[in-house]
Amino acid sequence: MKLTHLLALPASLLALLTPTLAGPEYNEHLHLLPLSNDYLYAGFNFTSTTSLSAYESHHYRYFPRSLGQILQYTHTSELHLRFALGRWDDESWGARPRDGGREGGTGVELWAWIDRDGGGEKVEERWGDLVNSLSGLFCASLNFIDGTKTVRPVLSFESEGSSRGSDGVGQQLLHGTLPNEVVCTENLTPFLKLLPCKGKAGISSLLDGHKVFDANWQTMSIDVRPICPSSATNTDDECMLEIQQTVDVVLDIERSMRPRDDPIPRPRPIEEIECDETKHYNGPDSCYPKRKEGAMGWSLSKIFGTPVLGSCHLAEDDAHENVDITLEVPSTRVVETSALQLSSPVVDAQNTDIRHFKLQEGIHRTDLTLPYQPNVASTLRSQPPLYATRQITGHGQERGGMHTLLHNPHPYPQTIIYLETLPWFLRPYMHTLKISHKSSSKTVELEKMFYTPAIDRKRATKLEVQFTVPASTTLELTYDFEKAVLRYTEYPPDANRGFDIAAAVIRVLPQSQTAAQSQAQSGAAGSGCKGRGSYLRTTSLLLPLPTPDFSMPYNVIILTSTVIALGFGSIFNLVVRRFVLVGEVPRGPLHAVVARVRELVGKVRGGKMGKAGDVGGDLGGADEDSGSGGKDTGVSTGKSGGISDPVMGSGSDKVD
Amino acid sequence: MPLLARLLTLRNSPLLLQLPPFASALCIVVGIAWLFILPLDEYSRQTYVSENAILPGQVHTYFGGSEHNVFRAYRQEVYGISGWDERDRLNAVESVIRDIGLKPARQDYRYTVAGEDIEGTNLYTILQGPRADATEAMVLIAAWRNFDGQVNFSGVALVLTLARYFKRWSIWSKDIIVLIPSDSTYGPEAWVSAYHSTATEVTSSRNVSELPIKAGALQAAVAIDYPVGPWGHRFDKLDILYDGINGALPNLDLLNTAVSIANGQMGIGCSLHGITAHSDKYPDRLKILTKGVITQSAGHATGPHSAFMPYHVDAITLKTLGDGWHDEMSLGRTTESIFRSINNLLEHLHQSFFFYILLGAQRFVSIGNYLPAAMLIAGNFTVTALALWVQSGRAPIASSPKSGSTNKQLQEGQLEVVKTAGAIVLIPKQATRTVQRQLFVPVLAVLAVHLLGILPIQALNTLNRAYLSLGLRIIAAISYILPAFIAIILVRGVKVSRQQIQIMQSFSLLLLGAALSTLATLNFSLAFVVGVLAAPLSFVRPLSIGRRSSNGSDVAIAMGSMGRYGQYLVEILGALTWTAVSPPTVLYAMTWYFDKDMQWMLLEMAKGWHAQGVYTPLVIWSIWWPAWILGGIVLVAGAAERVE
Repeated sequence: MKLTHLLALPASLLALLTPTLAGPEYNEHLHLLPLSNDYLYAGFNFTSTTSLSAYESHHYRYFPRSLGQILQYTHTSELHLRFALGRWDDESWGARPRDGGREGGTGVELWAWIDRDGGGEKVEERWGDLVNSLSGLFCASLNFIDGTKTVRPVLSFESEGSSRGSDGVGQQLLHGTLPNEVVCTENLTPFLKLLPCKGKAGISSLLDGHKVFDANWQTMSIDVRPICPSSATNTDDECMLEIQQTVDVVLDIERSMRPRDDPIPRPRPIEEIECDETKHYNGPDSCYPKRKEGAMGWSLSKIFGTPVLGSCHLAEDDAHENVDITLEVPSTRVVETSALQLSSPVVDAQNTDIRHFKLQEGIHRTDLTLPYQPNVASTLRSQPPLYATRQITGHGQERGGMHTLLHNPHPYPQTIIYLETLPWFLRPYMHTLKISHKSSSKTVELEKMFYTPAIDRKRATKLEVQFTVPASTTLELTYDFEKAVLRYTEYPPDANRGFDIAAAVIRVLPQSQTAAQSQAQSGAAGSGCKGRGSYLRTTSLLLPLPTPDFSMPYNVIILTSTVIALGFGSIFNLVVRRFVLVGEVPRGPLHAVVARVRELVGKVRGGKMGKAGDVGGDLGGADEDSGSGGKDTGVSTGKSGGISDPVMGSGSDKVD
Repeated sequence: MPLLARLLTLRNSPLLLQLPPFASALCIVVGIAWLFILPLDEYSRQTYVSENAILPGQVHTYFGGSEHNVFRAYRQEVYGISGWDERDRLNAVESVIRDIGLKPARQDYRYTVAGEDIEGTNLYTILQGPRADATEAMVLIAAWRNFDGQVNFSGVALVLTLARYFKRWSIWSKDIIVLIPSDSTYGPEAWVSAYHSTATEVTSSRNVSELPIKAGALQAAVAIDYPVGPWGHRFDKLDILYDGINGALPNLDLLNTAVSIANGQMGIGCSLHGITAHSDKYPDRLKILTKGVITQSAGHATGPHSAFMPYHVDAITLKTLGDGWHDEMSLGRTTESIFRSINNLLEHLHQSFFFYILLGAQRFVSIGNYLPAAMLIAGNFTVTALALWVQSGRAPIASSPKSGSTNKQLQEGQLEVVKTAGAIVLIPKQATRTVQRQLFVPVLAVLAVHLLGILPIQALNTLNRAYLSLGLRIIAAISYILPAFIAIILVRGVKVSRQQIQIMQSFSLLLLGAALSTLATLNFSLAFVVGVLAAPLSFVRPLSIGRRSSNGSDVAIAMGSMGRYGQYLVEILGALTWTAVSPPTVLYAMTWYFDKDMQWMLLEMAKGWHAQGVYTPLVIWSIWWPAWILGGIVLVAGAAERVE
């Protein structure tokens, strides 16, 4: 509903939208790229689109119904969900796939644009509904993304959809992270269920939990965005809703190729190890293993444990050049294909290293094999836009420091936006925030800063800064923080593990846009994928907080302290108390009045008590008992009686 | 009420006033005896693994087969480069690490202590756990030279082989950092301190460069010490080194894990403090206890693991001992199993004890059982201090209760008529008279002497190594002259009274008692040793030799009817004891006992102070030494009075 009126936008705005449309309704693609040190990158992408009108009238075809209903119910116009695990090794693997645009920080990351009509509370309510529904759908603890983990970034994210025109009044961006969520098979299964072929056919049949989660780096993402065609080109085209599901993994080829029935990496027999025979000590008992050279042999079926089963060509216009698998290896590398059809163009026109394949219809098992090849020139990966590492420094229970290193390897300056979401129990000292050159400790000016301080137990800290990293330099971003002490019940069961701090999100603004980026983020133009720049995320951190010793010694300390306190109390009492005779106590002016009143009250009560005793009612009986006790012993003071019964209290007073 | 009243009257009981010296002595005797009963079965316990997640020895270890060939090759490699100079050696090790497929990193460090340079380079690499998210890490260390200065051939080779072997496993939930420091003490110290900081401030004594790559929070560290070259040597026992800097200890669970894996899974016997023949009987247990107390009170590093303790990273060193039938593969499998166990940890090691005294590899005393020993000794000073305080508040006559003949004295105008609330009471004058305590001079004296303690610390830690022993000799000489000097100034110049001397001693002992009882919770051994050595200070009273009025010391009172000569004897003995247990004499005695060079020891202490952050010198020179000087002042003050 919210998206339909986008059509009525002024033409001037829509003219800026990039026309990205009219492909097949469902498309899947696998990108394979061997990386250095015998790693293999595999990027799965599943895209399906549906027209907005069908979506709004609940016609689901390739768009998953379960997700669609949630989005409609929560008035979410754009959704980005990430599940990530492991680390991308910038130094050996180069730039991140898809410019980092389809990855998340360790754990779960979610951001969405939610319709703002109905006010801020309504947005929060919808956000709550969204995370809870997604939590159920993906078997993840997304429901723990509450107010303390949600922030509203200003600069870091831009809407990918082309419905951007109505932004500013219509939608609110919310961003939440769960760094301590462990991504596992239980999240992959519902992910595959959303696909039209459900992981049974086509390239999605390769996605097996055992292999995906044995990866060194793995990220799953779901991106839903509306796309509206530019009205200038074709007014008849209606708006579309696109869902992109991607799974990016980096697998250790050697580890993945291990047979499934014997997954234990036992030391290999000595015969299988290639020894360096030039070493003087080389002999039957000593073997210096040679450094691995050449490209390791691998095949789809060995790496993923299964070949590609069938195909999943669902779009009607299958004549369209639909590429299933793209392989990016040097052109000299031998590739054996079984039942794979090289789609035309056979190799990419610009880059001879890229080969495209298409799955053939009706073939049940399709495999791709690259045998071992000793001398293969390794493909040079492009350098990442930026290297970033983040660490917690200091030790002890009270203070700490955050230390981020940002290295720009390129010969041109880059403007970046750095976003950090900090839990409330980590209290940054903003006056210590400093960005400086690592070598010269010259400070760098902040261009923009959006900072939301935390509210204890209610809101997280959001720190969003924009600054420029000069050419070929390393910058250091540091600030000190204080660790809060949690309440006893706020500790999780594994309190001594520490608390996870979400990854920092770094957005590197594209070169061309750096100058004109102020216009871009003012929201007029929904720039295309290229215009958003690239993203990278640091690793998440573990923050040790002061933790009470929950076990026995804690009780012992409490007990001992109590005993000492009692002992101290009585001795202190003894030492400071003055003992005087009653007669020596000076009488205050009120004393006479109080005594008089007491006497009067006593008289009246005394009469009553006698009466009650005579009547011998329930209450009276009880009174009698305690009363007689008081009389017998004669030590009861007014207070002890007073606790049980006020009437008795004054009675025993009289006895005294 | 009656009970309280009775207690109140007890306040004035002469018996109670005579009690403190005995109570003090009792505290000391019981405190020392306490330590001797700890090795008994009734007071110590069998160790046990407390953290369920560790599951020691529950996994099958696969380190073996062709890895042995690789190990031998690496050992040849390490042996081949051992004669090379530092830079070539580092390059060679780096190339091995690269061949394994890991990225090496370096860190240079340099400490300058007493004119001596300690330089080296730490070489390390991070094996990123496939299941890890860079939040946690464990450290595998093999120092190039072990603690005794031998080249750790097999240790380094084993660590490299293990790195290659570990890399194939996908089970690691924590990163594994393989660290090869140049030496066993300062390299790990430089590395771990740089790991926890960004500050690279270069001071005159410390220049530690930053770490180029880091992983997450360190969970545990295991160091391997196996200095055997390619000729090979089968070992008998695994010595587990566990003392950290300043007597800090690793979590007992880590130690238990190592012991139970080595013992139970691999069949390698474990020993502590190099005592291989351990019968688990009283004498052996006591020997281990004593060794532990000595190393922990010294507070210095005992191996590459020691530097990790102040950063709350539990660490141990596995050192091979003796001739036996265990080879490097057993050690490798033990290490593998230990790492598998640490890998199992869901939380930082916290379940088991951090404070314990080991009596054997499988027997320990927990803090609740041993702490009273040090506390009692520290308490003895407090008892005496309080007694002195009470005494100083009384009229001087009060201190001569020749209790037998009080009646006579009382009649001679010592009674006072008090009229209160219509009653007339006769009260001894001394009970009603209060004495104003004059605190200024005593407080000033105590403060000044404690501040003076900075001088020996400064001198011994900044002097050039050549002048260190001379420095100590001068300090010793000054230490003996200073008390007499100050006492004469105080008695003749400032004209302090007897009461002020008492108050001064009271403050000094109060401070000593408080400092030692606090220290006992941090470093039990040091507090205990210093407490025992300082114990005579509780009994120091102004010398009364030759003084006419024999209202002398409490010791004499305690002696009851013993004659004046007995009192002199006691005083002379006391003075001699005071002279004998001064900090400088104890240092000299230690060098004599351990047969070490004085200069070497002072240099080690200076290195410990600057490079490792050992606070033992602080305890000696600003807690014990001032108390000892003040004791001396009290002692001489009596004599000074007499001369006057």
